[in-house]
Amino acid sequence: MTEIVMRNLGKDFGGFTALADMDLTIGSGEFVALLGPSGCGKSTTMNMIAGMLDPTHGEIRFDGRMMNGVPMAKRGVGFVFQNYAIFTHMTVRDNLAYGLRARGVAKPEIARRVGDIADLLQLTPLLDRKAARLSVNILQRLAIGRSAVVEPAIFLLDEPLSNVDAAFRAVMRSELKALQRQFRQTMVYVTHDQLEAMTMADRIAVMDHGKLLQVGTPLEVYNHPVDTFVARFIGAPGMNLLAGRVTSADTGLTVDLGAAGHCPIQAGQGGEVLFGFRPEEVHPDPKGPMEMTVTTVERIGARTILHLAAGSHAAKVVLDSETAVPDQGEAFRFSVSPGAVRLFDPQTERAL
Amino acid sequence: MTDMTTQQLGAAERHADTALHEGAEERRLGLWLTLPAQLLVIFIALFPILMQVYISLTDWSPLDGIPWYRAYELWIGLLNYVDLANDPRFWSALWRTCIVMAICVPVQFLLGLGLAILFVDDFPGRRVLYSTILVPMMVVPAVAGYMFFMLFQSGGPVNDILSFFAGRPVTIAWLSDPDLALFATIVSDIWQWTPLMFLILLAGMVSVPQDQQMAAILLGASWWRRFWTIVLPRMKTIIIIALAIRLIENFKVFDNFYIMTGGGPGVATETISIYIYKVTQQELIWGYVAAIALAILIVLSIVSALAIKKLRSVQ
Amino acid sequence: MASISFRNVTKRFGDVMAVDDVSLDIHDNAFFCLFGPPLSGKSTILKLILGLERPDEGEILIDGRPVTNVSPARRNVAMVFQNLALFPHMTALQNIRFPLVERGIDPDRIEARVADVTAKLHIGHILHKPPAQLSGGERQRVAIARALVRDPVAYLMDDPISALDARLREETRVELRRIQQEMGKTLVYVTHDQEEAMSVADGMAVFEHGKVRQTGTPEELYRRPNSTYVASMLGAPAMNVVPMALAPRMQVAEAPRRADSLGVRPENLRVGAGDTAEIIEVEPLGGFTTLGLSLEGTPLRATLRGQPEFTAGERVGLTVDPGRAHFFDAGGAALAAR
Repeated sequence: MTEIVMRNLGKDFGGFTALADMDLTIGSGEFVALLGPSGCGKSTTMNMIAGMLDPTHGEIRFDGRMMNGVPMAKRGVGFVFQNYAIFTHMTVRDNLAYGLRARGVAKPEIARRVGDIADLLQLTPLLDRKAARLSVNILQRLAIGRSAVVEPAIFLLDEPLSNVDAAFRAVMRSELKALQRQFRQTMVYVTHDQLEAMTMADRIAVMDHGKLLQVGTPLEVYNHPVDTFVARFIGAPGMNLLAGRVTSADTGLTVDLGAAGHCPIQAGQGGEVLFGFRPEEVHPDPKGPMEMTVTTVERIGARTILHLAAGSHAAKVVLDSETAVPDQGEAFRFSVSPGAVRLFDPQTERAL
Repeated sequence: MTDMTTQQLGAAERHADTALHEGAEERRLGLWLTLPAQLLVIFIALFPILMQVYISLTDWSPLDGIPWYRAYELWIGLLNYVDLANDPRFWSALWRTCIVMAICVPVQFLLGLGLAILFVDDFPGRRVLYSTILVPMMVVPAVAGYMFFMLFQSGGPVNDILSFFAGRPVTIAWLSDPDLALFATIVSDIWQWTPLMFLILLAGMVSVPQDQQMAAILLGASWWRRFWTIVLPRMKTIIIIALAIRLIENFKVFDNFYIMTGGGPGVATETISIYIYKVTQQELIWGYVAAIALAILIVLSIVSALAIKKLRSVQ
Repeated sequence: MASISFRNVTKRFGDVMAVDDVSLDIHDNAFFCLFGPPLSGKSTILKLILGLERPDEGEILIDGRPVTNVSPARRNVAMVFQNLALFPHMTALQNIRFPLVERGIDPDRIEARVADVTAKLHIGHILHKPPAQLSGGERQRVAIARALVRDPVAYLMDDPISALDARLREETRVELRRIQQEMGKTLVYVTHDQEEAMSVADGMAVFEHGKVRQTGTPEELYRRPNSTYVASMLGAPAMNVVPMALAPRMQVAEAPRRADSLGVRPENLRVGAGDTAEIIEVEPLGGFTTLGLSLEGTPLRATLRGQPEFTAGERVGLTVDPGRAHFFDAGGAALAAR
């Protein structure tokens, strides 16, 4: 249970800025996901928390204690590697006991604590198996157990699900979340998969090009993205952004979308905007003010994704599989409720 | 595109029709066509060994004027092997070779491992130093033998350096004292082959997964603990391979020993290879030599088999 | 341009039944997906089509002709490898040309053919670049172009986009679908991602332990799975399968006589006022919300649209969308609803 504070944290590699001026506080016992595409600085941040990298400037504090310069072995940080870094030449038991032995814990104490953690993670029947050739969910549990047994104050997880089969990811996600609830440690989770971040994290820190763009609960970043990058990155598919122009008429404000029609909005100033709406916020409406042509229909079980185009606009719409949809090449008429519209400045790409 | 499509398709169809039941025959034909080559390879590999077996059962020598294939006229059965078992010079050469191996290989291993540990992490000048360390390996063994012959002359640089440190003239007769001669030849072998050991072990060490080492550090493991529990166990395979290569190579040691001492003084540095060379070239009793060669081949095969077995169990 | 059929094909590797008595019909111009967990036999099927493996029993037909004894080169089936296997020292154009140049085809024809394929794949503007300078999606298209340039009768892909990140995967699968429709050739596609399979395929086969458990369009398999296995493989979160004893708690009264378990997809489980189940967790995904529920200790999942306000610990009542209940017998086989 430790609070992590990063202040003005930055890292340069030669002339390349991997991370610029990061200010982030991760509360004690909180599960925070660092989310972004590859090269956004999320792994650099995590490696600096772990002590594998030294920051170029700024500071990291654990519960107020300055961590800059403290070697990684002394930080009390548990790290779960992307490929788990299990010692495959040892048994499961020796893997679990590794950290305790390294710290010179007495033998009976080691046996007790290894036994406890193995029970908790349901690894007891496997204790004397060689760690090579274990299935990936067991490797994950073992990697977590190996770090957890030395009771680190902070858990860092570096894309632990990226090598896992799609079918298995859902299982592993809920298992990970359940484990976090049991351990109640501060967890920092690095991922490029917004679904993992949305389903597991208490708060998400969205990053791009070495910058922290937004921090908030999953629903905050989903509902109120600060810029177009966050809007596009969060959600599956991400938010639709169409170039338009706000005009006022006697009926109120509307956004003129050219070939795609128009849409009434609640507030805004005249001028060019990026008109944003979530694919799930679309209502099929034969009298709706917007119309686009269906280019592709993706039927994925419970959901149907329509890919739409009109002029230079492209958009996606997510509907229930129960909803009747037009065929490829046909027109789709719809409306977006004014409350669901998000407007962005086309120059700065910031939310208006 | 369309005309090409139809053309290609047409061709594919014709092929498909004629090819339908060709596959099995094709495979059989392949076997027949490669059979001569396969037989040739087997012949080339086995012929020298079979010839050795044949000659070792005779008293044949090239001086007798009988072609080798009529060596059966001098058939003596297992007499060569009986002689070999009772030849003290053979046994002493074998024993000496084992001593050389017992010193050279562990020393080369430890030095190579130490160097590998130093070189696994980057430091300024690493690349230059790395190339320098590999130089001895590239020197022709005969040249290396000559170099060490010069170094260990009683008026040579080794004695000069010792004189400098001792503060008085040192004139050790390195190559004419039986014990010191063996020491000097062993030093030359270690000089020449430690780099190979270093190279193999470094390759093994570099391939130890970095994240496992990181994981161990984060779990609080000291350098020694990591070395014993992660690095060495992960290098097991490569260590066995390195030791096996050097043991087999070292058993055959010849060039630098022969050039430095000619196996002397007396037989003080006479290894198995030198012994065989002398018996072949100087005494020309080829049937006997064949018997020695076979005996050694059997010993080396056993060593290799043990190493391979150990490797399998490790993996 | 080619249909591919398997007739009772079996392939063993030692004691392992990699492919177990498989019969399949892949239609001409189909986008056909082989779907299943790792090691369920999908990749072996590809090798059998390519001719890299020979079936131990049964027969494979391409365009109705048995090809068991036809060599891989003569089958004229192309493969796009998972790692794409582009030549790093050549430009995209040289990579694409390679199969034709190797066959000593007339240069004019090569240019015409390359122009045709690259236009359809929308990669005309990147042809001068080496693979290292291309994005993941572009490399993918170059690899496909190289496979298609020699005009194969069918082409195969083994899990081609699993290495891409989530967002790019969503876009690439739509792109693949478009390419297949434009090229109009039989595409056999292996994946273990159910969403990807349902998105791209117009026909699919679900594998388990080397056996085909069910074939059909993705929609058929999703709506009418023939077993609990197929039901569990498609859909995320997976279908809830509970003992029949719990059916009354979800207001499911009518059931076939031999029904042993009840299956309800999370999106067909309605949550309302009541006191039957407890909410264990609320997973807000933005456009959807997934609820983890406990019905007398049995875990259930429900997917709701939007961001309804529920909190963990709350008690709720459950119903099932009419006509959306699935029933399975004791062996896990689907039963027709009464």
